[in-house]
Amino acid sequence: MIPLAHYLILSGILFSIGLAGVLVRKNILVVFMCLEMMLTAANVALVAFSRAQGTAGVPVYDAQVLSLFITGIAAAEVAIGLALIVAMFRARRTVESTALNTLKD
Amino acid sequence: MFETSLCQILFYLLAVVAILCAAGVVGFRSPINSAMSMALCFAMVAIIFFGMGAQFLGIVQCIVYAGAILVLFLFVVMMLDIHGEEHSRGSYIHAAVGMLIAGFVAGLLIKAALDLPGAKDNTCPAITLCESAGELLIGEARQVKEAPAAAPQYGGCLPELSAAAAARLENPAISEADAAKATSIPDVKLLGQCLYTRYNIPFVILSFALLAGTVGAVALARKIRKD
Repeated sequence: MIPLAHYLILSGILFSIGLAGVLVRKNILVVFMCLEMMLTAANVALVAFSRAQGTAGVPVYDAQVLSLFITGIAAAEVAIGLALIVAMFRARRTVESTALNTLKD
Repeated sequence: MFETSLCQILFYLLAVVAILCAAGVVGFRSPINSAMSMALCFAMVAIIFFGMGAQFLGIVQCIVYAGAILVLFLFVVMMLDIHGEEHSRGSYIHAAVGMLIAGFVAGLLIKAALDLPGAKDNTCPAITLCESAGELLIGEARQVKEAPAAAPQYGGCLPELSAAAAARLENPAISEADAAKATSIPDVKLLGQCLYTRYNIPFVILSFALLAGTVGAVALARKIRKD
């Protein structure tokens, strides 16, 4: 069987790649996709812990419920965020984060 | 034996593909390619969920992420007429610094996973972690609980799922013989029992959050009339 640590390493790598995308990319849409990936990485860790903490071969379902909540909140967050991106595109005609420099001038 | 090794091979294969797709999301120039790569990454994660015995979460992952969220992203990409990023001179330093920070965080997380108590000497990481957290909570009293007898029974790996135990949890009145006959875990039923009893109020609040999100998205994205 697969050790718990390997699931956690997968989760950590996915999280870090998402973080790299958030820091590196300028296109806000891609930044947003990377945010979603970070949430998924948290889900992987939660499900792995729910299996590992289970007693007598039954997973702890509290962790899976938390993971379900994360998925639901992520859906609401994507709706709001994409609406904001559409509003930003209407105002600026671009989705580059470097274009948001009104306060600088 | 064959099944176990097949599970392992599948997990590592899927994990590598998921990581490559995640790197694709960051690396691809065009947002459409990024979105497709993201969908593939989420599909791989969903299959990993299936492998962990969380079938319902795997299905939810497929439907919500690969279905709803991907479609939203693609619609926005189509609506907005977005071009790929242009690389300017300063962007390479920017990218290098970002990668450095992310690499540092990755190293930290991997080290934390490998430093779990019991990760090296093949005892159960999670239960040992829980026990040492209990010691920390007690603090000065230093009351070390008795070593859990069942801790090292599965060599640092996730415990096998037991259908009989799940059947007993589902219906406490079931007889031992009937419980032993159970062949599969009623994943959705047990998750629902937990969700609709202990987490009922957070669940209702989540539904309000989704409603508010939908209304807010419509309000933000509509065209504002001048008159």
